[in-house]
Amino acid sequence: MTEVNELKYSKERKVGEGTYAVVYLGKQMKTKRSIAIKEIKTGLFKDGLDMSAIREVKYLQELKHLNVIELIDVFSSANNLNLVLEFLPCDLEVLIKDQSIIFKPSDIKSWLLMTLRGVHHCHRNFILHRDLKPNNLLIAPDGQLKIADFGLARSLGNPNEDLSPMVVTRWYRAPELLFGAKHYTYAVDIWAVGIIFAELMLRIPYLPGKDDVDQLDVTFRALGTPTESNWPNVSSLPLYNALKVYPPPSRQEIRLRFSAATEKALDLLMSMTQLDPSNRCDSTSALLHEYFLELPKHTTPAQLPKKGGVQEDESSKRRKL
Amino acid sequence: MNITEDERGNDMCPICRTDRYLSPNMNFLINPECYHKICESCVDRIFSLGPAPCPYAKCGKILRKNKFKKQIFDDINIEREVDIRKRVSTIYNKTQDDFEDLKDYNQYLENIENIVFNLANDQDASNTEAELVAYEKEHKVEILERQMRQSQKNADLAQYQEAVARLKQEKLKIQQHMEMEDLEFKKQQRQEVLDKLSNSNANSDDIINQATNNSLKRSNSRKRQLQQINNQLEQSFENMIPGNQKKVEEGNKTPFTPFMGDRMIEKPYRMLAAPEIVDINVSSVVNSYYDPFVNQFAKNKEFLGAGWRLEAVYERALEEAFMGLGCFIEEEKKANTT
Repeated sequence: MTEVNELKYSKERKVGEGTYAVVYLGKQMKTKRSIAIKEIKTGLFKDGLDMSAIREVKYLQELKHLNVIELIDVFSSANNLNLVLEFLPCDLEVLIKDQSIIFKPSDIKSWLLMTLRGVHHCHRNFILHRDLKPNNLLIAPDGQLKIADFGLARSLGNPNEDLSPMVVTRWYRAPELLFGAKHYTYAVDIWAVGIIFAELMLRIPYLPGKDDVDQLDVTFRALGTPTESNWPNVSSLPLYNALKVYPPPSRQEIRLRFSAATEKALDLLMSMTQLDPSNRCDSTSALLHEYFLELPKHTTPAQLPKKGGVQEDESSKRRKL
Repeated sequence: MNITEDERGNDMCPICRTDRYLSPNMNFLINPECYHKICESCVDRIFSLGPAPCPYAKCGKILRKNKFKKQIFDDINIEREVDIRKRVSTIYNKTQDDFEDLKDYNQYLENIENIVFNLANDQDASNTEAELVAYEKEHKVEILERQMRQSQKNADLAQYQEAVARLKQEKLKIQQHMEMEDLEFKKQQRQEVLDKLSNSNANSDDIINQATNNSLKRSNSRKRQLQQINNQLEQSFENMIPGNQKKVEEGNKTPFTPFMGDRMIEKPYRMLAAPEIVDINVSSVVNSYYDPFVNQFAKNKEFLGAGWRLEAVYERALEEAFMGLGCFIEEEKKANTT
């Protein structure tokens, strides 16, 4: 079994190494398709395999969607577990940080649309991603955005089951998680998408907290401190404190912060970053939002800016010289 | 072009020696031929009988009265460049729409800049001037055509602005009219209340309360009325402008599918309302769900604060129960292979 599998794919070169996996670039022998092989390091953990590897396999096997990374195959060889994934050369964080690329409003709309479609597919299958951030939104060569890294994903279990609040990268963590809630919902992913939307417009992280305490401060300075009146039952959450009460921002203040955004864009952003999770919109209503209907229309994936933009510039400079 | 700097400070006409101090409404004019500053009365005196040479010593250029104009820029060199630019741009009057390629358009603009620079800085001025005149002769018809087009555009814009102004006025007029009416009504009512107070023996507080209630109701309905009229006006205004309608049509040309057609709109089940009172016994549950284990969490504030909702639990249970029903894998496989 293992031999057959090893013959099916070729490993060409190592492209990265994380704490629990090594990633190789390769090809599927039969179709010549580029793939990435994630080789999970075993033996590092006392209790067998790392949780995130199991989670990744478990949920990616279930999900098949244009905007979710495809798990092509799983095989084991020489005590290693190998995940064969679609090869995606770029991610959204790289594009955001690349100052030589200009984002048009239609580009932002397109990325947000693809992200929401992927998130919607996860949510309707009752899967929480729990680690949405630009770094985990990969870009395929044809411009399609794909949600990746399901290492923290989980399915909602029994209604009384405790969920860990220590999920999601800090800057994208929803306020209920910051307050240590153990029974949160899909709304945590929507919050993260909202913050990514803001980051796409600003080109810098929207709520960059230095640590978990500072994250609370930064979040509420931007969006107001939640109280019982605008978020019922918030004070029952384990880590709730309202030491510093910031007033909620006026529409004008938010308008100034996102000077290039249209009113519809602000509406969507506001409804995705509602402090009270039960007021936050879900993926369905976000996709149905008028923001996606107003002009300019979203850019088709093939026309979105790519990482190659820089290289192209350099080559044209050379031509001039 | 020998203009000395000290002329600017003293506000005195170099020809007739009139001082601004003694005649404060004195105006200076210049002529784009030589840009020498001459006061208005001198221009009248010297050039009224037809073209005459510039009175400045060593200038002597023949000037015409109708070419004299007020100086806009303090710096005469800028004044001159602006004039040249104006002239060149009436001859080289292509717009971006006339070019297929942005590069070509930029080249064209660059060319204009070169001409303006040459003329303004006397570099190869005679040659450039000759070229300019030749170009004008050659492209006379095109230039005129483009001028017509531009003026048409300006007229459209003017029309639009006029319409907006008219709309504003109309609104204001209606509002004023209504305010007047309201004032009249208020007066009338006050009179009525006074009459009632003096004639009837009902409780005075009741009468006053009733009157204030009435006026409150009326002002509310009036506000709504005003809003309605305003909306109507705006609608008719938008319909009046043909460009607007086109825009809407264009926007809807290609249908947008937020879910790419991948969404179940009609659910195979109908959801009942989640129970409102959660600690009731089974017999009293009507048109709702009964699950004491789940229901007890709806009382837990920690659950609620985190966004947990009872409806979501029942909805998921139903969703999962019906998931995949009516989905025939063999048939779909066949459809995919053919």
